[in-house]
Amino acid sequence: MKKSSLRDLGSACFFLAPAFFLYITFVIYPTLDLFRFSFTSWDGVSPVKQWVGIRNYQELFSDRIFWQAFRNTLLWAGIVLLLNVFVALVLAALIAEPIRGRVGFQLAYFLPAVQAGVVTATIWRWMYQPNGVINVFLRTIGLGRFARGWLGDFTLALPALAVASSWMSMGVNIAIFLGGIQNIDPTLYEAAKIDGANRFQLFRYITVPSLYHTIVIVLILSTIGAFKTFDIVWATTQGGPVRATELLATYTYKKGMLEARYGYGSSIAVFLMLLIVLLSAFYFFQQKREA
Amino acid sequence: MRWGLVPVYIVLFVTSVLMAAPLVLTVFSSLKSPDQFLRAPWIPPSPPVFDNFVSAWYKGRFNVYFKNSVIISTIDASLMALIATMAAYALAFLRFPGNRALLVILILGLMAPVTALILPLYTVMNSFGLVNTRLAVIAADLALALPFFIFIVRAYFLNLPAELRDAAKVDGANEFQVFWNVMFPLAKPIVVVVVLLEFLWSWNDLLLRLVFLTKDPLRTLTVGLLFFQGLHTHDPGGSAAAALILAGPVIILFLLFQRQFIQGLTQGAFK
Repeated sequence: MKKSSLRDLGSACFFLAPAFFLYITFVIYPTLDLFRFSFTSWDGVSPVKQWVGIRNYQELFSDRIFWQAFRNTLLWAGIVLLLNVFVALVLAALIAEPIRGRVGFQLAYFLPAVQAGVVTATIWRWMYQPNGVINVFLRTIGLGRFARGWLGDFTLALPALAVASSWMSMGVNIAIFLGGIQNIDPTLYEAAKIDGANRFQLFRYITVPSLYHTIVIVLILSTIGAFKTFDIVWATTQGGPVRATELLATYTYKKGMLEARYGYGSSIAVFLMLLIVLLSAFYFFQQKREA
Repeated sequence: MRWGLVPVYIVLFVTSVLMAAPLVLTVFSSLKSPDQFLRAPWIPPSPPVFDNFVSAWYKGRFNVYFKNSVIISTIDASLMALIATMAAYALAFLRFPGNRALLVILILGLMAPVTALILPLYTVMNSFGLVNTRLAVIAADLALALPFFIFIVRAYFLNLPAELRDAAKVDGANEFQVFWNVMFPLAKPIVVVVVLLEFLWSWNDLLLRLVFLTKDPLRTLTVGLLFFQGLHTHDPGGSAAAALILAGPVIILFLLFQRQFIQGLTQGAFK
C-alpha cells in the first residue's frame, strides 16, 4: 500500500460509519442469520435453536405446496415478462415515433408505476369482483358469458393478479426502452427507410437488435421483480383460492411468520434468495458486457 | 399530420386509456354515494360526494395512519439523503485501504430481497427491543435501500470535474467542510432523486410495516389500507377513497417531479 492510501482513513471512517453500521446490522448480519436458521427447527421464540442439518431442505424438496408455489412464481414471471417486456417494447417503439401528445401518453403509462402494491391490489380486486367493472363491461358488450369472480377462479386468479402487477410495473420498462431507443443512431433508421423498409421492419431489424442488451436486462429485472412479489397477492387472495396464487414470498411469510416455523420458512427464503442472487449475477454480467 | 401515423395513434390511445382507466375509475368510485353504484362504473359521480373520504379518514383512522406514514417517510428520506451521500463521497474521493472491498460488499446488498430477509430481520429487531417502534422500520428501510442510493450518488460524484474538490481543499477546508459546503450542494440534482425515491419506496412499503408495526396507533397507510380494504370488500366507494388517501400524495409528487421520478425509477428498477 502506498503511504497516501492511508491519508484519508480517518475521514473515511467518519463518512462511512452511519451507512455501514446500518447495512451490516440490518442486511449483512440478518443474511448470515437466515442461512443459519435454515439449518434449525427453531420456532422463532424458544431460546433453543435445535440444529437439524439439512432436514428443512429435505422437507422442502418433498413439499408439494412449495413446488406449487415455485411453479406459480414461474408462471407469474412468464405473464409479467410477456406484458412488461414484449408489450412494453412495442409501446416504447410507438411512443418514440414523431407524434404529438407524447407527454400525455407517457403520463398514462407511468402513473401506475408510483402506486403502492396495496393500492394496486385494492383497485384491481374491485375491478375483478363479480359485479366489478370488468364483468359489467363484458355484459355491456354482450360477452356476459365470460363474466366471473376472477380472483375466486382457480385457473384465472393467478393470471388476473399478474396482469394487475404488470399494470403497476410496465411504465418503468417503457421508460427504460424509450431511453434505449432514443440512443439508437438515427442514421440507421434513415438508411433503412431509403431502402424502403416499413415500420414493422424497422422495429424488427433495427430497434430490437440495437436494444438486445437492454431487453436482456429488462428480462432479468422483471423476473427478479416477479420472484419478490408479495404485497399484491397478500392484499387480495393471500395465496388462494386453495393454493392457486401461492408464491414463494407468500409461502415463506406464512410458514415463517404465521405458522412460526422459523427454520423451515428460512429454508424457503434461502431458496428464494439464491434464485435472485443467481439472476442478479447474470444481470451484472450483462451490464458489464454492455458497458 | 402524416396518415401513416394513424395506427400508431390508435394503439397509443387505446393502451393509455386502458392504463389510466383503473385510477380514473377509482377516483369515480371514491366520489360516489352507495346508490350511485347502481349505475355503470364508468359513469362519473353526479353529484360527487366526499362521505367515503370522511369516513375512511375518521372512522377508518386514516388520519392516524397518514400522520404515521408522513413521519416515517420524511425521516427516511432525509436520513437517506445525508447517509448515502456521505458514504458515496468517501467511496468516490477518499483513498483508503478496502475501498474496493466495500463496493463489492455493497453490491451483495443490492440483491438482498426483503421478502427473504424478513424473518432474520425480525429476530434482530426483537433482540434490540425495536419491534413496534418506528425506529425498526426506519432502520430497515435505510439499510435495505442504502446500497442502491450510494451507487447512484457515487456515480454522480465521479462525473463531476475533479478540480472542484481540489480547489476547496487548497482553501484549507477540512474534509467535512469540503463535503458539506461544496460537494453536497453540487450533488443537489441527484440528492433530489434520492429524497423523492426513498420517500416513495418508504411510503409504499407494506411488508416491513406489517411485520414491525402491529399496534394500531403505529400503523402506516399501507397497513391501514390492507386491513381496511379486506373488511370493506363490499364497499367499493370506501376502499377507493382509502386507496386514494395513500396514492394521492405520491401522485402529486410525481406530477411535480416527473423527470426525477422517471430517472430514479428506471435506474432503480433493479432494487
